[in-house]
Amino acid sequence: MTTSAFVRPARVRPLPEDAAPVVSLKGVTKRFGKVVANDGISLDIYPGRIKALLGENGAGKSTMMSMLAGRYQPDEGTIEVDGVPVKFSSSKDAIAAGIGMVYQHFMLVDSMTVAENVLLGQEGAFFINPKEMESRVNELARSYGLDVDASDYICDLSMGERQLVEILKLLYRESRILIFDEPTAVLTPEETNRLFEALWRMTEQGKSIIFISHKLEEVIALADEIAILRRGRIEGELDPSAIESKADLASRMVGKEVLLEVNRQPMDLGSLVLEVRNLTGLGLTDVDFSVRRGEIVAVVGVAGNGQKELVEAVTGLVKPPLDTVFIMGQPWRKFFAESTWNRSMCYIPEDRLGLATLRNQNLVDNLLLTTRKGFARGMWLDKKRAERHTVKLIEKFNIRPGRIHALAWQLSGGNLQKAVLARELYREPRFIVAEQPTQGLDVSATEEVWSRLLEARKMAGVLLVTGDLNEALQLADRIAVMYRGRILGMLPTSEAETASRIGPLMAGVLD
Amino acid sequence: MWEFLIPLFAATVQSGTPILYATLGEMMTEKGGVLNLGVEGIMSVAALAAYLTSYYTGSPWLAFLAGGTAGMAFASLHGFVCITCLGNQVVSGLALTIFGLGLTNFLGVPYVGLPAPGFTPFDFPLLSSIPVIGDIFFRHDMLVYVSFVVPFVFWFFFRRTSLGLHVAATGEMPAAAAAVGLKPIALRYFAVIAGGFLMGLGGAYLSLAYTHLWTNGLAGGRGWIAVALVIFAFWRPGRAVAGAYLFGGVMAFQLRLQAMGTHLPSSLLLMLPYLLTIIVLIFSAWRGRRIDAPAALGTNIEPEG
Repeated sequence: MTTSAFVRPARVRPLPEDAAPVVSLKGVTKRFGKVVANDGISLDIYPGRIKALLGENGAGKSTMMSMLAGRYQPDEGTIEVDGVPVKFSSSKDAIAAGIGMVYQHFMLVDSMTVAENVLLGQEGAFFINPKEMESRVNELARSYGLDVDASDYICDLSMGERQLVEILKLLYRESRILIFDEPTAVLTPEETNRLFEALWRMTEQGKSIIFISHKLEEVIALADEIAILRRGRIEGELDPSAIESKADLASRMVGKEVLLEVNRQPMDLGSLVLEVRNLTGLGLTDVDFSVRRGEIVAVVGVAGNGQKELVEAVTGLVKPPLDTVFIMGQPWRKFFAESTWNRSMCYIPEDRLGLATLRNQNLVDNLLLTTRKGFARGMWLDKKRAERHTVKLIEKFNIRPGRIHALAWQLSGGNLQKAVLARELYREPRFIVAEQPTQGLDVSATEEVWSRLLEARKMAGVLLVTGDLNEALQLADRIAVMYRGRILGMLPTSEAETASRIGPLMAGVLD
Repeated sequence: MWEFLIPLFAATVQSGTPILYATLGEMMTEKGGVLNLGVEGIMSVAALAAYLTSYYTGSPWLAFLAGGTAGMAFASLHGFVCITCLGNQVVSGLALTIFGLGLTNFLGVPYVGLPAPGFTPFDFPLLSSIPVIGDIFFRHDMLVYVSFVVPFVFWFFFRRTSLGLHVAATGEMPAAAAAVGLKPIALRYFAVIAGGFLMGLGGAYLSLAYTHLWTNGLAGGRGWIAVALVIFAFWRPGRAVAGAYLFGGVMAFQLRLQAMGTHLPSSLLLMLPYLLTIIVLIFSAWRGRRIDAPAALGTNIEPEG
């Protein structure tokens, strides 16, 4: 997928001087507990134009769109439709105001036909006629040039076709503003092309489109306007034709300014804890690097460039090819066969409430999740001792609420992350894989996680996968930049120009 | 041969009728995404409610409706536990069955063996004179004729009404239904209560048309057969008819064999319907058509956030 793959229709589309926005966000702020997800956002959406919203995971894109779609209410600021302030109390209100959203996970009933899905809740009469419903939907599809057969069952459709059905649902409800949350994530390049053509056609009929993405090429190819969202704020609005390079866009998306600083002293390097040798496959190409005890190696890149695959290969979630991954000096097969619960490898996943913890279990059981063997006495589990240790860890890591019987889901993101960190560090790991460890955390929690990771270097080597460039620069000794499954550069943070070299590498620019 | 087969088939239709009502009731409930294992209990309670109504008022039709109403009341208990309180559907259903059986056994004691007015067979005008078909299908009581219509109504409801579409969407994917502004909770209550009504009619049939008197253990496992038949029928009303008559046939055949004085022990023959249930379930699983089950069957709708 390169930029040239998208054939953009020739159209001169300057924004008319007198254009009035259909939707405006005015100083919208949304908080979740202490975390500010959206901070004073102001944005105008114009009819017949495609506004791309570019931002990393956790930048606040989804929160903002959920407010537009009526799922959340802003804490501050107003949303205006046609210049009139509105308050949505449910998605029904938003739909009535002409705002519709296509979610990443389709809301379609697999065992029903396209027509039934499109007209669900909008049949118009108590008695229905399948034939008539199908012809109504087929006609709608034709009028927008969408290639779908209304009599097909959803379960027989490809992901791209299902997306068209979601679009038809919005069009049938006469939505004027269509929001797409990462719509190309599930599509093939060919389907992506077709989606883009459909989107352009819809703008010609006066629809406004908001396109949420972190894929630079797509945003540049598709959008009429680009807004960059970072850490809950609008970082800037750009005209795609004014963009000098992808690198420029990438660095604006991830940001450069230092938000937090920590005092990091280099440590003496110890033995190898991770060695990846010419790993090709699983969506990765020629990945080759190593991590030693006493250092933090960060992996950065625009999301979806192979970071997830690398983590899965290293942590044993998927089987990497033979003789490519060596952990603590052993080939992965041998390592995982013989690994012990402590003084070994630990993994701090991005998905805190899914992969890292059991949401409906208390802190003791969640502690035991990975430390079970440490609390075993013969075939019995010494739960009393586990409880005592949980109390100690809660104190040491200042986890709130300080009750050992609190369930995982009752903890805030920051406290849950501290609990995961406490558990994993209790295992005295020699090698730590930390994935987006501070995503969505507030400043104090972030600081705490950082200092714990820095301290952990005394006993371990750390592989830090992060979308936050500042985090990489603050914590890491070396930074690997990934692009399309390759490591394009391994940059030492001790060199001054590293920070400025990362942006271009993230966009795939080598010079 | 015919003089043996025609009465057998006629008896098949008669003993298949309560199973048909109950199967459609369970199917309605499951289409909305809720599993109700309380069918056996609901049928028992409804049979008693119908019997008592008939005993004291003398009106079979009022009694028939009373059976349906008792079914609705009992099913809404299941709905409250599962839909509102998010209780476990299997546990709630089993509890309902045990409770229902115990309650009817207890309350029915003074009435055991006492007759009450009910429905009696009559020759359906014109249709009963069709050779063979008429003898098999049109020399029954009114409730059998009503049961002929119910599967068509059932089919029409899910294929031709928007409410049916909404109920089915709720059973498949409540989130999708909610996303387009429907109310999945209310729709599930509808499915559970409407299903309970049909189960209740099945129970009422037992005391009003099958026996005309009260006796303990009237449901006799028919509720469990209905649960199995829904799977056998792949959640389609047409196949439910075939399944209900298949089981009705086995039951009727078993009775006849006993009456003819076979050497087979009667307890072995009484096992036949349940043996068939197991065979049918294995067969359905083996064909791998579980895909036809409503996707959200048995899972509660968790409140957001």
